[in-house]
Amino acid sequence: MALFILRRFGVMILTALVLTFIVFSLTNLAPNLEKVAKFEGNVRMTDEQVASWLDRNGYNQPVLKRYGEWLGVAPGWTHMEEDGLRGRCIETGMDPADAPTFCGVLQGDWGKSTVFKDDVGPIVAERLGLTGKLMFWVMVLMVPSALLVGVLAGMREGSRLDRSLSTFSIASTATPEYVSGVIFITIFASSATGLKWFKGTATAAAENATFENFFLPVLTIALYGMGYIARMTRASMTEVMTAQYIRTARLKGVSFRNIVVKHALRNALIAPFTVIMLQFPWLLNGVVIVETLFNYKGFGWTLVQAAGNNDIELLLACSVVAVFVVLVTQLISDIGYVFLNPRIRIA
Amino acid sequence: MTKRTLTGKPMHWAAELYAKEYRAGRMSRREFMSYATTFGMTAAAAYTVAGIRPAHAGGHIAAGGTLRCQMEVHGMTEPRLYQWSEMGNQTRGLLEHLVQYNADGSFTPVLMESWEINEDATEYRLNLRQGVKWNNGDDFTSADVAANFEGWCDTSIEGSSMPGRMGSLVDPDTGMMRAGSIETPDDHTVILKLPTPDITIVAGIADYPAAVVHRSKVGVNHIDEGASALGTGAYMLEDYSVGEKSVWVKNPNHTWWNAENGAFLDRVEFIDYGTDPATILAAVEAEEVDMVYETTGDFVDILDGLGLSRSEAQTAATIICRPNAITEVDGMKPYADVRVRKALAMAVDNAIVLELGYASRGNVAENHHVSPIHPAYAELPPMPVDPAGAAALMEEAGMMEYEHEIHSLDDGWERDTTDAIAAQLRDAGFNVKRTVLPGSTYWNDWQKYPFSSTTWNQRPFGTQVLTLAYTSNAVWNETGFANEEFDQVLAEANAIADADQRREKMRRLEEIMQENGVIIQPFWRSIYNHTVEGVVNAEMHPQFEIKYQYIGMSA
Repeated sequence: MALFILRRFGVMILTALVLTFIVFSLTNLAPNLEKVAKFEGNVRMTDEQVASWLDRNGYNQPVLKRYGEWLGVAPGWTHMEEDGLRGRCIETGMDPADAPTFCGVLQGDWGKSTVFKDDVGPIVAERLGLTGKLMFWVMVLMVPSALLVGVLAGMREGSRLDRSLSTFSIASTATPEYVSGVIFITIFASSATGLKWFKGTATAAAENATFENFFLPVLTIALYGMGYIARMTRASMTEVMTAQYIRTARLKGVSFRNIVVKHALRNALIAPFTVIMLQFPWLLNGVVIVETLFNYKGFGWTLVQAAGNNDIELLLACSVVAVFVVLVTQLISDIGYVFLNPRIRIA
Repeated sequence: MTKRTLTGKPMHWAAELYAKEYRAGRMSRREFMSYATTFGMTAAAAYTVAGIRPAHAGGHIAAGGTLRCQMEVHGMTEPRLYQWSEMGNQTRGLLEHLVQYNADGSFTPVLMESWEINEDATEYRLNLRQGVKWNNGDDFTSADVAANFEGWCDTSIEGSSMPGRMGSLVDPDTGMMRAGSIETPDDHTVILKLPTPDITIVAGIADYPAAVVHRSKVGVNHIDEGASALGTGAYMLEDYSVGEKSVWVKNPNHTWWNAENGAFLDRVEFIDYGTDPATILAAVEAEEVDMVYETTGDFVDILDGLGLSRSEAQTAATIICRPNAITEVDGMKPYADVRVRKALAMAVDNAIVLELGYASRGNVAENHHVSPIHPAYAELPPMPVDPAGAAALMEEAGMMEYEHEIHSLDDGWERDTTDAIAAQLRDAGFNVKRTVLPGSTYWNDWQKYPFSSTTWNQRPFGTQVLTLAYTSNAVWNETGFANEEFDQVLAEANAIADADQRREKMRRLEEIMQENGVIIQPFWRSIYNHTVEGVVNAEMHPQFEIKYQYIGMSA
């Protein structure tokens, strides 16, 4: 087991390295660097000004060297200026002599965001916290209702209840967030219908989340994931319900209620567990759209800002987080699976 | 008896001249206000001359309250590098200007008490306001102003737009301020000496990058300084998160020089809702904001319908759709031929573009980038709209088969306007391809696209924008236009002359622009903002300035 986990972590680090290098080289293409220079300096800079800006800020080095700097295995660049030495590791107001040679991820320095003018570490931490809050409520809403819908639908395959719940699940999965979100805002939050039950923006929810301002984004994400989990649960449930031991129980005269609750449910929940864990990376996807739509300043919104403005170091940090989330949830699902399903442990 | 000039001295001859011209009906009220106040006439006296009474916000303003304003919260820089009006608005309650530009076209002193301009506009005497203090207790003196002027003239600052506004104060050889061009005879007087006449200095220092900083803080990003940032204004920073929100609060340890007439609000919050008007609408519906930065297109009517009060400013802000004469496409310069450019302009009916692109909220423009609200605008005969003639001209130039690619931003009205132009060009029989780019990509190459749309904000004087964008060596020249006669006539127009002579020069400049088919300029925009009931003094400013130190809630 320990070896398994260790190997998983090895893969995770390797994946993170490869992915960040790809992101790094893409963001460091010449036109993208020009964009950075113009964003930092002035959109109306001339070509000469851009070249001089890039040179002064250490962008004019080989990509591998720069990637090494970001990682913290190559010494940070320095540049002699009229007002003294400037460099990657020299903070404003710092004596160059005191500055460390290396300052990268390995040293715990994630760099500076050009969009937000702040250190990347705290930005990502804060935004992840906000997205975590959103995800938590999404899970609270999505998981129980998805399981309930799935189990109810799967109890009696082909019944009217099954058909209607299945239609609902397929409809909700087939409606992307950017469609359902807009519809919800129009119906429940605008003067167009006059309902105005909720708020069409979740900006204030970052500080003070209430049912009113937070329910629509939560619902939008939850509905999308819910249908999928419900379908999986239903499939798993119908399979279990046709198993031999259920038939035996029936023949013995156990009540339908008891069959479902005591005999079928536990076995039927093994498959959805994996699906739910796999939903985490999917949710990261969904928050990009929903956070932008509802103007909720979490991780997804930050990713959009970083990508739109070619904010290299923030993008890299976001990729690391994404890799981490995907692989950690997979790890948890693998380990959890082992505990839920004795057959795998034995095999 | 009110003073006629800010200094109480006799009026500058040019101001007298403008008064005469205005009375004779040769000048519009707005241009009279701009010109007369530039030469040191008080706004009140100018109003008296113009025979109007200034509009004052009715009712009393209650002290206290919080204003929540929707506005993009950009990453900040030092003031000279500000490139969006929003950035200027952030620090407006902390860093003040020497002079401000008002919605009626007049200039009024802020950190100055008055200014005088000599006979031929080569010497400016700035009399600084007495008793103004920085929020650390230092006196505001001429040393501060001199340090700021030096910083404004410094061309070595990458991306600083101030040297362009300083004109001949900058020494082209050193790239710094011309030696001996500024004098500070005492603590409250600054004298500027210019080698050539220039009447745009006052307008230049009223613009948002010209925020006055403490003499020790030139080139400092004041947001990084947090609550301890030095300024003369009544407010201090409480919190700033880019893309999210900024909070300014009344500084409890500082007495603002104009405390009797402003600083009503205890707290001002700028909240970022991105650029999508639908999101901004959602914020208004959710009652999360009291004021929006700008309302565009259909949303003007929608917000009206929600019961918000609308304010409108007519401006010389515009969009131009221009071919670039020197950009190469596949080894040839498609727009070097004047016939091609003229054919394009001829095929487009600007009135239709205004209707489709901007919901008729503005005035039709005439392809020469001089606005009727600018002083010295000359009316030209109407331009013919002739798609058949345009096609014939294009045929003559042998460019009928060429595919024109028009780039534009993907923001609402910019995109729609360009689409309307493209549709009319297609109707005339030309091949047109549209390319829509997001802002973050678009501005990288805005000057170099073969054919694209650019938005321009207004500047108080008509010649300012011509100098910035159409002279052969202009930094922001995006048309590739280089015309010796144009450069020369513009230089002549920049020197003072009486309105009739100046108008003649302007007429010639406008004609040259049209004759050469330099730009397709469909319309001048009217701009709007909305506030909820009870917000006072938050009217739309033609240059998007929000002076929150004067905004308040009605009592």
